[in-house]
Amino acid sequence: MRFFTATVLGLLTSGVAAATNLTTPSRLALPADFKPPQVFKNTNLVRNTNLEKGYVRETVNVVVENVDKQPQTDYYIPFPTDVFERVGGFEVRDKKAAEKGRFKVDVTEAAPSSDNQYFIVHLPEPLAPKSQITLGISYSVLNSLSPRPATIQQSDKQYLAYTFSAYVPSAYQTLTQKTKVKFPSTNVPDYTTTSDLKTGTDPERKGATYTYGPYDTAKVAPGTKYPITVRYEFTNPVTTVNLLERDLEVSHWGGNLATEDRYWLRNNGSELSSQFSRVDWTFSNYQRAPTSAVREITYPLKPGSVDPYFIDDIGNISTSRYRPGNGKTAANLELKPRYPIFGGWNYSFKVGWNNDLAAFLRETTTPDSWVLKVPLIQGFKASEGVQYERVVVRVVLPEGAHNVRFQTVEGSSSNGLPGDNQIHASLSSYKTFMDTLGRTTLTLEVDSLTDEARDAELIVTYDYTFMDALRKPLTIFGGLISVFVAIWAIGNIDVSIKKR
Amino acid sequence: MSLNEVWEAASASPFQPIVPKDSQFFVGFNLLLVAVIFTGLFGLNRSFVSLASVGLPAAVLFGFGSVFMICAVGVYV
Repeated sequence: MRFFTATVLGLLTSGVAAATNLTTPSRLALPADFKPPQVFKNTNLVRNTNLEKGYVRETVNVVVENVDKQPQTDYYIPFPTDVFERVGGFEVRDKKAAEKGRFKVDVTEAAPSSDNQYFIVHLPEPLAPKSQITLGISYSVLNSLSPRPATIQQSDKQYLAYTFSAYVPSAYQTLTQKTKVKFPSTNVPDYTTTSDLKTGTDPERKGATYTYGPYDTAKVAPGTKYPITVRYEFTNPVTTVNLLERDLEVSHWGGNLATEDRYWLRNNGSELSSQFSRVDWTFSNYQRAPTSAVREITYPLKPGSVDPYFIDDIGNISTSRYRPGNGKTAANLELKPRYPIFGGWNYSFKVGWNNDLAAFLRETTTPDSWVLKVPLIQGFKASEGVQYERVVVRVVLPEGAHNVRFQTVEGSSSNGLPGDNQIHASLSSYKTFMDTLGRTTLTLEVDSLTDEARDAELIVTYDYTFMDALRKPLTIFGGLISVFVAIWAIGNIDVSIKKR
Repeated sequence: MSLNEVWEAASASPFQPIVPKDSQFFVGFNLLLVAVIFTGLFGLNRSFVSLASVGLPAAVLFGFGSVFMICAVGVYV
């Protein structure tokens, strides 16, 4: 009887029970006339701007000194409001102790009176007066490269332009600073030369690296701009994923982890100035000439991945090849879209595959508690880089899973993700085959990512008891036994015509 | 304790499915087959004794059999 009661109660209670550590990113509202308190001074600042991929990747190393009389913890990093939303994977570490992990970072709302929004870096320990700390700040800026010329012929080289300020935007006085710009090749037809910022030639060129500075900026007010524009060859696609929806479905009964990625792609490179020529494309494709179009997509999968599929709105795309690996080495899914994706062209598709759950799920030392470790976005591999404007990852846990917690894995270097407090996480219920209450679903939403986050991993823990697992067979059992009882009961009704 | 430490601590106990993927069809098919036979037997004699001795096992077998069969055909519930 106790078993029956437990079963019935188990079937009726909701699977989405108390969940912890789910975050909704919040933004700090600043007063209208806010200005960061001038409690720090940047003694030396070096910015490395990497333009080798289809987005801008910057790392800023800055020696910060506390010039106030009190210990300080909050360091403000400004970005223009129009750029702020396109900054992705923002991370700050102690440059001299990177293994200690990233610092907690908050973001501010846009204020109508200010052109800037701020990342507020909270130092783990207050910085004593006159003490110094070296910050390693890294981030990507999406959609900041513009194709120049905006239209080209199909087999022309493509050039991108990037505009930035020679003075690194900072909320504090900076004594000396320089910027190193790394280009994908030495073909840089146009770049701004400065004449009055320093003695000697500026920039200094060394191969594909151009160095602006060092500048003595002790007397330059914080926030001063000196625009620099560079234009360089980038005959590769500027692959932009407008939206990536990724589903990871965990099945304890099936021992399976099913993954499906749905992509909405766009090439943000130069558009074609004349009509697409299939003949020219076949020629250049045969010669494997560099092109600004997405020709092929290589998708590395975990060892042991099986049952891959590649479909779009029309149906199965037969121009794909799967190299399964030998069980220990990574598998490769090679996809050819239905058409080359030139600048301004869109393409949407989905890929999916299965894995054995044993490689991704473990039972913790607490009974009936499970820990799942899965790649967060995985995504395809492209030497020219991929930028993701929005990523929505759904982890569909078994029906009845509760007490869900998540965390992204941190290493000694950047994992390409923002802090966990900047990831929007929510729990919901998702009903599909054989479900009564629906499966507990953890949804994570992140904006502005790049393929730097390809190797990022997600850990989810949840409680899932044997009774939760029995919900499906017991539901079917309940249905069938009801039919049998009904047959028996109806069969016992005496409907014969006779005198009683 | 970070969740990564939880993961590392659990390295000795990877998930083991009740029925491995390769055997799901065999197990599911046989459970369903026995369930159908028992249902047939119950259909021949619809007494209370038959309900308890044949109908009940048939329902249990059908419950588990259908879960394994749907997994075997690729719908991992």
